[in-house]
Amino acid sequence: MSTRGPIGEAGYPVGPQRSAPLMLATDLGEAHGGLAVAAAVGVAVAVEERPGKASGVLLAELGAQRGRGPTLLASARARELEERLREAGFERSDPRFARSDPRFARVAARGRLCWLGLPATEEALGDLPRVLDAVPAASLAIVHLPARLWPLALERRGLWPRAGLLRADLPTDRALAALAVAELRERRLPVRVATRPLGRVASRRAVAGLEVGGAAARRVGRLARGLAGRAGAPAAERGQALLMVLGAAFAILFAAALLAALGGALTGTARVQRAADLVALSGARSLRDDFPRLFTAPRLPGGALNPRHLDRREYLARAAEAAREAATLNGVDPDRLRVLFPDADSFAPLRVQAEVAASIDPQALPGNRGRSSGDHLPARGAVRIEASAEAEASPPSSPSTSAGGMPTAASGGGYSGPLAYRQGKGMRPDVAPAFDRLAAAARRNGMTLVITSAYRSDAEQARLFEEHPDPRWVAPPGQSLHRCATELDLGPSSAYGWLAANAPRFGFVKRYSWEPWHFGYSRVPAPCSSAGNGVGAIPPIGGERLATEGLRAFVPSLFRAPIEQAAARWNVSGALLAAQLMAESNFNPYAVSSAGAQGIAQFMPGTARTYGLDDPFDAPAAIDAQAHLMSDLVRQFGSVPLALAAYNAGPAPVEACSCVPDYPETQAYVARILGLLGGAGELVIPTLEVRLVD
Amino acid sequence: MDGERGQASIEVLAGIPALVLAGLTALQLLAAGYSLTLADGAAEAGAMAIAAGRPAAPAVREALPGWAGQRVTVEVRGGRLIVRLRPPSPIGTLARRLEVSSTAWVRRPGDG
Repeated sequence: MSTRGPIGEAGYPVGPQRSAPLMLATDLGEAHGGLAVAAAVGVAVAVEERPGKASGVLLAELGAQRGRGPTLLASARARELEERLREAGFERSDPRFARSDPRFARVAARGRLCWLGLPATEEALGDLPRVLDAVPAASLAIVHLPARLWPLALERRGLWPRAGLLRADLPTDRALAALAVAELRERRLPVRVATRPLGRVASRRAVAGLEVGGAAARRVGRLARGLAGRAGAPAAERGQALLMVLGAAFAILFAAALLAALGGALTGTARVQRAADLVALSGARSLRDDFPRLFTAPRLPGGALNPRHLDRREYLARAAEAAREAATLNGVDPDRLRVLFPDADSFAPLRVQAEVAASIDPQALPGNRGRSSGDHLPARGAVRIEASAEAEASPPSSPSTSAGGMPTAASGGGYSGPLAYRQGKGMRPDVAPAFDRLAAAARRNGMTLVITSAYRSDAEQARLFEEHPDPRWVAPPGQSLHRCATELDLGPSSAYGWLAANAPRFGFVKRYSWEPWHFGYSRVPAPCSSAGNGVGAIPPIGGERLATEGLRAFVPSLFRAPIEQAAARWNVSGALLAAQLMAESNFNPYAVSSAGAQGIAQFMPGTARTYGLDDPFDAPAAIDAQAHLMSDLVRQFGSVPLALAAYNAGPAPVEACSCVPDYPETQAYVARILGLLGGAGELVIPTLEVRLVD
Repeated sequence: MDGERGQASIEVLAGIPALVLAGLTALQLLAAGYSLTLADGAAEAGAMAIAAGRPAAPAVREALPGWAGQRVTVEVRGGRLIVRLRPPSPIGTLARRLEVSSTAWVRRPGDG
């Protein structure tokens, strides 16, 4: 075998002297970093080692400025080389010397390399044959030496360099490099010139016997292939693919398990919120069921206690008990529950708030300073609220008749079923509760959703199109999905992002990418389908009927005559006027509200002047003005609930939505008077809905 | 000639079934989790219908996407509502075994 043949076309060829093949490396001119490049090439070759074809890589550094200690992790072959060199008389690292002391180490197994430090002398060159003899013939020895020793090494007897690695900066050292390359080629030795040093990190890794990685690895791979005929083959070809595939499979499963765990945590949170919702709804349901009993007489005509009657304390206690039962049955510890009645001060509370606490401050137990009937928890500040919900029993948002021009059923569009109303906007009845849930979720995120448009008949659409005859923005009549009563235009614009992300959870989809406000209900039945016309019709649970005249016992005798006279004069129910006075001022002629309403009928000064009431504290005059105003409002709105809402909130908001406005105070006001009227026989049953409000 | 050339390609081919199996398992897990979320939401919608005095089953179905309509069973016992949902799965038996359920309770009109 030729001793001048290139290194390792099939392993490293063994010379006649049975010593390891030698690769010389040096820095030409002002170039530096040749040692790191030589080390990186050595590592690349060592990585390619296979059993029976190689036996380690030795990196001999002539002129080492500092000792290099062994690394914690080193390959078995590097350790074997280290051992052989030590047996040949080369010292191992000596901990008595500092690392900067050249005597610290002469031989050290470092990663995949065995490093040997020698002085930069001709004597050291003389030691090299002994070094090469000490290492196995199948190993590769890379000797990095100063440029001044380069010619001597080439000429030295006993050394048989097989390849040369030059580190030179071009074009500065072009002449030197050209000479060195020409000389090696003349000797028919493979030679490569590294024109760039490795980076700082790559250099440190290479000298530590580690693969350099990244772009530097590709450069080093090319050098190694040119010099040793191997190294740098793609890692995927090294039989690691199965591990990689199995790793990928494991990663997929791990990611899925992680997602499942995350989903589980979110589901847990959502379930607590759901429990709070159901607790509040159950409490409101109890209030709604017991509401008429608040207004029944405490005693029967014979003087016996009326078993149907409830006073306010019992009324609230029953609601709290219903809430606690719901908490237990929905998996929430009642001790973590607090039930509040935000309008507990009124004579007929209608709102329930349920709070589920995640943690309790033991220092605060057992005090309960809130108006809470859940007497297990301390005040709000001492606990961390995990979920909160509020529900109410309120008059239906949609009137049961066509009062105020609001139709109870759609016609003249693609949908011809009953309409439910939210914020005065009609929609298919199954859309309304979905919107309630959406709006409640938005409120929990600090947003109040506004419906700007919902169901539109073809006639309304035609009117709209006539005003904006641009089909890009307004669909022509008969083509808008709004005729299906499943579409809602929602605002405000600040909620568009939240809606886009969350509306699908509640069954709403953004119909058009260019209309961030337009959301359609995507659940079955499909919009404008015949099945859609029959969904969600709420069975009637009562309605208004004519009054049976006569004032209840709660009306003070002092005011009976003025009420009856005013009722007769303005053709308004006396029971209605009495119930209103009870709700307004509890028959206190001198009551003054925080908003400035005055007297028994709580007139604002401006309204009082309009109705010729000079002194709102004059009870008979105030009652007469009240009857006059109610007469006008009943005539204007055609509905007692709407007239009551207008009395409380003013006609404008009622007129705007033709509904009881979504003001908690107004809704409770209307409900209480309806309750009083129910107790008086004025209504068959108060037409209250139970709904989630937050 | 490098004797190991192409080894990785063969190993990748051999590993594809494992990858596919892992992917399907992951998808099935996610489908089950998603079904549980849907069942929870549907149970709440049904419970709200009960509290309002309306039938629960239509409200539950309205709260579910179309594909779930044939995979859900609704059971109402008093104020207790149980929604069972079979997640989508290429294997029917597996879908039945992975069936998720969500229970909600709410006070009915006239209770108590």
